[in-house]
Amino acid sequence: MPVWTHYFAHFVVTVIATIAFGITFQVPRRHYLAAGITGAVGWMVYIFGVELLGMSPAIATLVATLPLTGCARFFSITHKAPVTIFLLPGIFPLVPGAGIYYTAYYFLQGEQELFASKGGETFKVALALALGIALICSLPLPGGHEKIKRPSP
Amino acid sequence: MTEDLFDRALELVMDGGQTLLANGGEVFRVQQTMEIMAASLGVQDFHVYVLTNGIFASAHLPGGESVTLVRHVPTVSIHLGRVEAVNELSRELAAGKLGVVEAEQKLAAARALPRVTPRREVLACIAGAAGFAYLFGGTLADVPVAAVAGLLEALVCLHFGRHSINRMFTDIVAAFCCTVWAIAVQAVVPAVSANAAIIGALMVLTPGVALTMGVRDILNGDYLSGSIRLLDALLIAGSIAGGVVLGWIVARGLGVA
Repeated sequence: MPVWTHYFAHFVVTVIATIAFGITFQVPRRHYLAAGITGAVGWMVYIFGVELLGMSPAIATLVATLPLTGCARFFSITHKAPVTIFLLPGIFPLVPGAGIYYTAYYFLQGEQELFASKGGETFKVALALALGIALICSLPLPGGHEKIKRPSP
Repeated sequence: MTEDLFDRALELVMDGGQTLLANGGEVFRVQQTMEIMAASLGVQDFHVYVLTNGIFASAHLPGGESVTLVRHVPTVSIHLGRVEAVNELSRELAAGKLGVVEAEQKLAAARALPRVTPRREVLACIAGAAGFAYLFGGTLADVPVAAVAGLLEALVCLHFGRHSINRMFTDIVAAFCCTVWAIAVQAVVPAVSANAAIIGALMVLTPGVALTMGVRDILNGDYLSGSIRLLDALLIAGSIAGGVVLGWIVARGLGVA
């Protein structure tokens, strides 16, 4: 398979999978596509980082969370909706599900070294995810949606 | 403001907060929204403290008497549509477009927003599981296996949820079912790799929500709520891992792996 079709397929599948998560979280229909794109942006950056630039999963996750969270905030402003609507489904592709699985798997196989390294990596990925969200969510945005004016009593 | 109207306004603010919290709003959003609603409705001296599973608020009656209200929100099931609707409501209140009565109607409408049908939810689980199996390096042979695993998982979650069985046990059983299923298929059809299929299906269960919300709560200074959610994330991850381990043990016991 040529390289671009591989990444194109990934993009499409991520959009669909993220929307699937959006459905289970009862995201209103008009936000489906935006949530899907948020998830796909994160995953594409992650997969580019890991496959093309040779980053470690944790670093790639951190790098991917930045545009992902930025994207979620952007959509929250353009759609006038809480940022959670895009962030919760969008973050899912980056949650270390594979890490949890392999950690459990190697634990059972009795491969102590692999177990420890997978466990550590899973933890690092989760931390990177947290750090990435923290970095972008803390930035004040000009004209952001959080500027709800309080009426004078 | 008359006392009757005051009671209704306060009740409205509490209901709004409870709706947000029960449907997956972040702690700071609940707090902020309730304060905005209270200020817009002219509730005096409104103070509110929100935790992941409770709301505590107090206010002063027009006569000077003070009232305290407590709400317990034991279970959270994510419904972002309702979160959005209440958010919209508070915005309109702040803009002065609504009175107490209209706001009550709007809130009732927001709380009555339907969930998608169980069938759609199951379909979404299947699509998610199949998609992630592909993303995590599964071949086209693995994708249908993951889809069926996703179906099993969705059914487990649905039925256990109906009997209000706790989340940890549900996760363990769901992870167990999809692990055993994928290993069984691998034993019959060697072209299938159990790992990719299991990972795809497990992605549906992963604690992404708890992790994300925990981080955001902590960022906003709600350390207690944030820690509760992060602990939740850790427990869910542990349950999934436990289910996988059990699955492999059973598969080995049966001699298929």
